[in-house]
Amino acid sequence: MAQTWDAIVIGGGHNGLVSAAYLARAGMRTLVLERRHVLGGAAVTEEIVPGFRFSVASYVVSLLRPEIIRDLQLPRHGLEILPLDGTFTPLDGDYLWRTNDHAQTVRELRRWSATDAEAYEEYGLLMVEMARFIKPILSMVPVDTIRPDPRDLVPLGGLARTFSTLPRRQQSAFIQLMTMSAADFLDQWFETDPLKATMAASGIIGTFLGVRSPGTAYVLLHHYMGEIDGAFRAWGIPRGGTGGVSESIASAARSLGAEIRTEAPVARISVRDGRATGVVLESGEEISANVVLSSVDAHQTFLRLLEPDTLEPDFQEEVRRYRFRGSSGKVNLALDGLPDFTCLPGSGEHLRGAMSFSPGIDYMEQAYVDAKEGRFSRRPYIDVIIPTLVDPSMAPPGRHVMSCFVQYAPYELADGDWDEQREAFGDAVVDTIVERAPNLRDLIVGRQVLTPLDIERTFALTEGNIFQGELSLEQLFFNRPVPGHARFRTPIRDLWLCGSAVHPGGGIMGAPGRIAALQVLRSRRPAA
Amino acid sequence: MTASGVTATSRYDAIVVGGGHNGLVCAAYLARQGIRTLVLERRDRVGGAVGTHELMPGVRVPSLAHTVGRFRPSIARELGLRGHRLRLVQPDARVFAPCSDGPAVTLWGDPRRTADDLRAISPRDAERYVAFDAQTRALDGVLARIMSMTPPDPGRASVADALGALRIGLGYRALREPDARALLRVLPMPIADHLDDWFESPSLRAALAWRGVRYSSLGPRDAGTTQMFLAESAGTPDGAAGEAVFARGGPGALAEALASAARGFGAEIQIDAQVVTVRVSDDRVRGVALANGDELDAGVVISALDPKRTLLGLIDPAVLGPQLGWQAGNLRLKGSVSKVDLALDELPAFAGPADGGDARRRLRGRIVIAPSVAAIDRAADAIKAGRLAEHPVLEATIPSLVDPSLVDGDSGVKHVMSILVQGTPYHRREGDWETDRDALGERVLAELESVAPGIGAHVLARRVVTPLDLERDHGLTEGHPLHGEPALDQWFAWRPMLGFASYRLPIDGLYLCGAGAHPGGGVTGWPGRNAAREIVRDIKNRARR
Repeated sequence: MAQTWDAIVIGGGHNGLVSAAYLARAGMRTLVLERRHVLGGAAVTEEIVPGFRFSVASYVVSLLRPEIIRDLQLPRHGLEILPLDGTFTPLDGDYLWRTNDHAQTVRELRRWSATDAEAYEEYGLLMVEMARFIKPILSMVPVDTIRPDPRDLVPLGGLARTFSTLPRRQQSAFIQLMTMSAADFLDQWFETDPLKATMAASGIIGTFLGVRSPGTAYVLLHHYMGEIDGAFRAWGIPRGGTGGVSESIASAARSLGAEIRTEAPVARISVRDGRATGVVLESGEEISANVVLSSVDAHQTFLRLLEPDTLEPDFQEEVRRYRFRGSSGKVNLALDGLPDFTCLPGSGEHLRGAMSFSPGIDYMEQAYVDAKEGRFSRRPYIDVIIPTLVDPSMAPPGRHVMSCFVQYAPYELADGDWDEQREAFGDAVVDTIVERAPNLRDLIVGRQVLTPLDIERTFALTEGNIFQGELSLEQLFFNRPVPGHARFRTPIRDLWLCGSAVHPGGGIMGAPGRIAALQVLRSRRPAA
Repeated sequence: MTASGVTATSRYDAIVVGGGHNGLVCAAYLARQGIRTLVLERRDRVGGAVGTHELMPGVRVPSLAHTVGRFRPSIARELGLRGHRLRLVQPDARVFAPCSDGPAVTLWGDPRRTADDLRAISPRDAERYVAFDAQTRALDGVLARIMSMTPPDPGRASVADALGALRIGLGYRALREPDARALLRVLPMPIADHLDDWFESPSLRAALAWRGVRYSSLGPRDAGTTQMFLAESAGTPDGAAGEAVFARGGPGALAEALASAARGFGAEIQIDAQVVTVRVSDDRVRGVALANGDELDAGVVISALDPKRTLLGLIDPAVLGPQLGWQAGNLRLKGSVSKVDLALDELPAFAGPADGGDARRRLRGRIVIAPSVAAIDRAADAIKAGRLAEHPVLEATIPSLVDPSLVDGDSGVKHVMSILVQGTPYHRREGDWETDRDALGERVLAELESVAPGIGAHVLARRVVTPLDLERDHGLTEGHPLHGEPALDQWFAWRPMLGFASYRLPIDGLYLCGAGAHPGGGVTGWPGRNAAREIVRDIKNRARR
């Protein structure tokens, strides 16, 4: 207890680990404290059913920043991302199947609509340009709108200059992407309903918004932003599950000198004279540090881990205003075989990618209307993958794991509570899949249902929001998490935020963790 | 050369297509600068959506817009509208929101009076309302500056210039820091969340929230609706309660005053003159062609019609080109508003407030029937799904309460009620507006019955204006009274679309001055005024060259 760490990172999720690795790399003696027995936060692999290993929560990777992979040499620490090929949308008596083979996808689309097939190419080219334009934002420090730091204005000015050189059409598309609903944006291009619904689905993942809600178009870009080994547009699953990503970062952090403790839940952040001096664990152990970084969400950091009198009431009110609104659930299935879709029988290549239950825009919107009325979607949107087809090590030979991401599951239910509705929710999900793949029911040998309440309890994500706070327009960039406090700093000196609660938000990106660590290092550089 | 004898020698410098209020404002300002201006109106009267309709002999109702409180006082002053017999009446009550199973909410012009009333509903909300009103006014001040400026082009000029201009326009620095931070946070926010941050009473939230979504197909949970809420009172002295101002003699009085002022400055106005084409040669506007075959010459043509109709209806597609044609085709104008007017043989009695003289006073502003934010949202869900809302949101006025001249005593009619109905999409999955006209009227009456029991027995005459009627009678594409959705993707520097927000359309000499241009719809005169400023600048520059 005598020793004082240079830095303590609260939370061993992927962002906390990234922060720790960067701090350790700069020579800071860094300690990571993780509440659970496993590392990774929501990017975690666990054996829920004996012999079956699941990416319990987060299940695909696409936006992990390439600079992090490079700087921390993650492949040397075991990171391997396996490509996930295509999206299969089962329908009544038909299907829509897009793959990474562009020509094949265009042929498939032509089966639906010649104009859509043509537009798809044009659309893809435009979106790649847009993604290229917007990507620098992911590495920026949000500018303070009242007292801008000139160092933060430089990259923003660069972005503005780039914008003015874009062709008009791309400028317009960019503004539309930032402001429109996914459905409205896609309506301009396409007429095939299942195509629009499946594409729009990416815009609502993790949010309490519908495909017709403004602000959802932006996420369409994410699909074109994903980089794996520098290749645009690929999504993938890490070998060993998403826990594999966390393990590789942890290994890198350790090799750079960081210490990581599990089963070390933090009870309180110690504050003296307005600055953070360390933490107190639930065990009562006190650990002191020069800098404390919190990778848990803003609600937990400011309202649970700090004594109420350390923060101004106005600031606390702003934190309370920050919206979480968990909207998603997860159903993990252990299977004795592979599902057989009525619309495309057999265990072909279509099972190796994502299977999207998103037959139409109205279907998606109705699922949202259910959530607005305070009930889980009776016919939900489900994004299914079978990781064992890509990484057989996740289950015993011949058996499979199936990951079902589900929307909508509102944290606040109008009637009853999640503990009593958990299984009914799981049934609604299984029933929806069984409608299209009737043999599934008999294949299930184990099932785990995660409601937003379970996500909150297990992963300490307030209201079960997987992004540590809604990614709505007013909670992005210089407003995330609190206007005036979006630059990773907090009102408490030497207390920083480094998780998805800060820019650029959630997903297995690692970007908040990296930028926060770099900001901490920048602040500690001796003044000239 | 033509039937009307107009020769190749142009009699006009500028032709305004469409005699709605923005077209008239623009024409008046141009004529005031000595520009020879002609207004061409398709219908038999000017005013467009700002008009007075004779419901039955001796009984008059607003034809669409029923209040005129957002009209810019500076424009009224500069054009001397008082001298053209425009008289405005503003009651103290701004919004009265009755509720079938709870207390009604009244928003008064004086926020302290509103707070006094609210104390019975929620002491906490009463406390906060005055601060909310003050913040609304502070943010409105900034928005009013934005609305009075010509938007910069963030795509063409260096963005640094644009941001500089924006900062000046914003008056952002004049705000207190908390308000400045709040502005950038709340503009893109859903109005439901913004109100949730302030108030606990569901009925107060609903009484405010409808103004964030009015005349659009957005719901209160949609991003950008706080911006719409603020814009609705920006430039008025009314703050959170919003305006409720009536023109004596009906809204048509404003249109007539504007026409009279424009004529006074030398503009000519021709009715029953439908423009079918804007004539273009060598990439320059040359004039217009009318439905009767006449051709009129002018170097400047200004359209007060909506941008979709202007670009796709008046311009040769070959001139417009495929890219702009595609963009114009994708302009979002999905109308969702209809109107019902009633002639009543007595004043309806609303459930909620204490009866007596006070009750009557509360009904003098806008009467809003939207029981909760969730109910407003459900009406929006119906719009999005292309069906008639089960419970449409109603914004009604009883203009005869403030202006008895609207009703002739001999008719047996005591009052008229003008009801704007939201939740009635132009684009429907099933059914059509030809057959559902009466069904719409019945549905609106059923909603009214829920808060004013017995009203149905007092209806002497009824008029139903469907979104299809709005398109046919008023030339509003897809029945959209705002000439385009007021959402964030058709806003400010990209209204109606990026590159054309400075009122200049893609053809040299062609301009847009209606609600489809910045700062959008409503009876403000702002687009017409802003457009005139740019046109005068261009004409002077050209003369100098």
